[in-house]
Amino acid sequence: MVGTAKVRDNSRAAPIPGRQQTMERFREQGGRIAAVLPIHYPRALLRAHRILPVEIWGPAQAFTPLADSRLQSYICPLARNALDFLLREGARRVDMVLVPHTCDSLQGLGSLLLDQAHLDRPTLNFYLPRGAGDASVDYLAAEIRSLSAALSRISGRSPREEELIECVMLEEEADSLLSELLGARPRLPLPDHTFYRVVRSREYLPAEDFISSANGVLAGRTSLGAPERLPILLSGIVPEPMEIFDALAGFGAFAAACDLACASRRLYPGGKSGDPFRRMAESLLGAPPDFTRGSAIRDRVRYLRANADKSGARGVLFYPVKFCEPELFDLPLLRKGLDGAGLASTVIEAPLHPHLSQVLVPRDPGPPPRPGGVTPAGALPER
Amino acid sequence: MSETAPAAYGLDVGSTAVKLVGLDTDGNAVRQSLEPTEPALQKQLGRILESIQERRDGGPLPLVVTGYGRGLVPGPARRVTEITCHARGIFQLFEREGTLLDVGGQDSKAVSVGPGGNVLDFLMNDKCAAGTGRFLEYTASRLNLRVDEIGPAALQSSGETPISSTCTVFAESEIVSLIAQGTDLGAILKGLHRSLVQRLSGMIRAVGFRPPLMLSGGVARNDAVVNMLSDAFDCKALVPESPEFTGALGAALTALEGRP
Amino acid sequence: MGPPLKCAAATKRLVTRHYLDGRYVRHYGKTAWVTSGAPVELLKALGFFVLYPENHGALCGARRAAEALCRESEAAGYSSDICSYARTDLGSLLSGRTPVGRLPRPDVLVCCTNICQTVLAWYRVLSDHFNAPLLVVDTPFLYAEAPPHAKAYVLAQIEAMVEPLERIAGRSLNQDRLKRTVKYSRDAAELWNRITEMGRRKPAPLTAFDQFIHMAPIVEMRGDSRTVDFYAAMLRELEERARLGIGAVQRERARLVWDNLPVWHQLRFLSEFFAEKGAAVVAATYTKAWGELAPLLQESQPFEAMADTYLHVLLNRGTGSKLDTIRALVKEFDADGVVFHSDRSCKPYSIGQMGQRDSVVRQDGIPALLLEADHNDPRSWSRSQNINRLEAFMEVVAR
Repeated sequence: MVGTAKVRDNSRAAPIPGRQQTMERFREQGGRIAAVLPIHYPRALLRAHRILPVEIWGPAQAFTPLADSRLQSYICPLARNALDFLLREGARRVDMVLVPHTCDSLQGLGSLLLDQAHLDRPTLNFYLPRGAGDASVDYLAAEIRSLSAALSRISGRSPREEELIECVMLEEEADSLLSELLGARPRLPLPDHTFYRVVRSREYLPAEDFISSANGVLAGRTSLGAPERLPILLSGIVPEPMEIFDALAGFGAFAAACDLACASRRLYPGGKSGDPFRRMAESLLGAPPDFTRGSAIRDRVRYLRANADKSGARGVLFYPVKFCEPELFDLPLLRKGLDGAGLASTVIEAPLHPHLSQVLVPRDPGPPPRPGGVTPAGALPER
Repeated sequence: MSETAPAAYGLDVGSTAVKLVGLDTDGNAVRQSLEPTEPALQKQLGRILESIQERRDGGPLPLVVTGYGRGLVPGPARRVTEITCHARGIFQLFEREGTLLDVGGQDSKAVSVGPGGNVLDFLMNDKCAAGTGRFLEYTASRLNLRVDEIGPAALQSSGETPISSTCTVFAESEIVSLIAQGTDLGAILKGLHRSLVQRLSGMIRAVGFRPPLMLSGGVARNDAVVNMLSDAFDCKALVPESPEFTGALGAALTALEGRP
Repeated sequence: MGPPLKCAAATKRLVTRHYLDGRYVRHYGKTAWVTSGAPVELLKALGFFVLYPENHGALCGARRAAEALCRESEAAGYSSDICSYARTDLGSLLSGRTPVGRLPRPDVLVCCTNICQTVLAWYRVLSDHFNAPLLVVDTPFLYAEAPPHAKAYVLAQIEAMVEPLERIAGRSLNQDRLKRTVKYSRDAAELWNRITEMGRRKPAPLTAFDQFIHMAPIVEMRGDSRTVDFYAAMLRELEERARLGIGAVQRERARLVWDNLPVWHQLRFLSEFFAEKGAAVVAATYTKAWGELAPLLQESQPFEAMADTYLHVLLNRGTGSKLDTIRALVKEFDADGVVFHSDRSCKPYSIGQMGQRDSVVRQDGIPALLLEADHNDPRSWSRSQNINRLEAFMEVVAR
């Protein structure tokens, strides 16, 4: 569903099927499809209902006339693109829509889809708690149970506990592989574009398929040598359009590590409880620090620094979606915290348009890598 | 235009031009003039007002002023917004209810026109200039083109280069960059028009589109805009012979009929 | 415009006194900074001085100090796309400037997510800035009816706040005092509700602009006996005006409903503009929100009452619920039109307005205007463009 170009895959891994193909295949096996908005939700629960979550991160669109008549110009482009897509054709291609309560914009979108848009597909919402402690786990486990009851009305199924556990374990395995994949990034001789096609296939591939394709990529790990390109850490919501990676390459840099909502902010640790609902809740609440759960900014700084250390990243490129208030609030203190650790950073707002703005495209071959590590991202225009 | 003396006037003080329409007692336009808005606008308006002949009994003729500069017109003239005036003007011209789009220099308006040319509902662009005529004017001048040249150039092009920036300033920078890369000018212009039309389409939908689509204001002379809008709404957009006079006509009608 | 309300002086006195108290509170007590929708009764009962950064932001906006403060925070890297209350407040912290002299440092921050997620983002910055503990009351958004687990969750969080708050306050919670505070809150909210209902009278003895000015005590002094007394006096004044047929707008010819926050920096312009057209803005969703939940605040079970009340505030309910509220106001107040303030800075309040406007216009036949502005940042106010929209709207309403 994301409007990126065809896979330019020169890795040794098998080519990854696209969203459409994946959906068709899942349907052929008798399954249903849910369009799911960012960021956190219990994948395993949907799978236990034989529903495949296919995520909508945008998709990047040039024009959104249907959404423009329902949303003011200053509303998040991700919400706008998603609304336009669902109104135009997206809803017809799926059996249901799930909108996690990620932020004010997705809260509004979820509410608007229920009250105003009148899609001919059921829309469900899912609230992620921002509080701390046991109350949050209790609440989230109950919220997942209640989501399950709502899904039953769509799927006609009431998954048994063993089925739930089986799905939970499978998703935990996929999450752990995603973690391994992102950790191995500096040792994988792939262009960012290709690497993130694999990482982002977690947005729609069934866990079992993701596991096999991730294993294929990990088999190509090399020993860690001196990076040929300048390693940076990419932070933001979603790397759309994916040409951002080609632009980075044009500047002689690559994303050695990431703090993207669509990828590394969803490195869920396995849960502990034997109860599948509680276990899913524990797992979701254990993800790396991010604004959607109200993590402290200092925890985010610590996480970014550790992440940069591990990957050898010399600077951080923040790529927030335009109008993304929660991301924008954190930036000054995040940058200050990174600066204190000698990590340079810069900010470019992502407009979520299918074409990378000409303003961002490098006009010359770009500077050679500077192993000395001075402001790699400083080569990009700052806004 | 006949020799009959006007019985009422409408004056539309816009950001780019000042338009005057005089109507006889039957509502026929018997006088019509347009001049570019001058920096010393009040002086200019004083001169125009002087040129309006007085009634034989010496009293002033009914006059309604509209447009952005309506507050600058000296004297006790009635002031009515261009939303109301354009709706009445277009209704007089086409005798149809429907949806009016007026793309002005500072503002674009989508108006739902009801019986008698009354405004049922209206919406205007947000404060960003990228949804107004200024967007085209600005980029045309950046490309050293006259504003009446860019529509035909866009229409002639078979290609279309998407302009991703929705901001006038960034769009300009993007265009400069595209030209530097050797992109075809016509294709850039087509992309630019598409960008404007898409913004306008959202506004038309939001006001609840009812056919026909009728256009007024100077941008209605731009065939690329007209064609793209007609395609977007799957109906031939109706354009008056002199679209820039629609507001002044509506103002003159309001004056003639003494309507609220 | 009609004669001004006599209670204006009392409001000013109350607000001034409140900020004056804040200047000296460090000598005798602890300070909590809280969001407008926080369960403040608990803090009041523990003797905290409570300060509302949103209110402080609004005050800066109304006194035309917001723009300079917004620039301060933008210079420090805060995007101009974030809430202008937050930009005003952060600008005040960074520059040390405020029209109220000095703000007391918080000993604790209490953030309730029932008005927006923005406050959570904002209070995390405050927590870092002051190195002060942040307590969050997370209220799951109500797309429809509140599920039982949401109520239980909010209750559990408010109960869990008692221990850390007692520790910071250095005293234990007195249940009687808590009940008394809840009762004061309810009494004030009930009075406020009756005050906003006075807008039903013809001519309306007060407008929404009066309500915006006089709502400060119900927001920042809930749980005080003097707030109850103040609103009781205000209600008496309004009843007297209604009896005498004194309208807030002379020769009232049209009645309007306002949606969303006020445009603080244009309060005077807007109230004068409408008054000149003979239009009284008789009701607002924003001010109604502070009174409508009064019946939920029952002091017999104060924790359950706080959980239920603060979970159900207007901004924590869906776009459909807000449309119902707007329609009810139009009907009950016999309004001729609705002004939707499309507030660049308050996205959660503004999302859904285009569909709401559409329903009001096309299903109910009520003219409605989408007016683009920003509650606190005057740079988002396009004067001539907005006058044009307002005048065109009044032409439609007047017909």
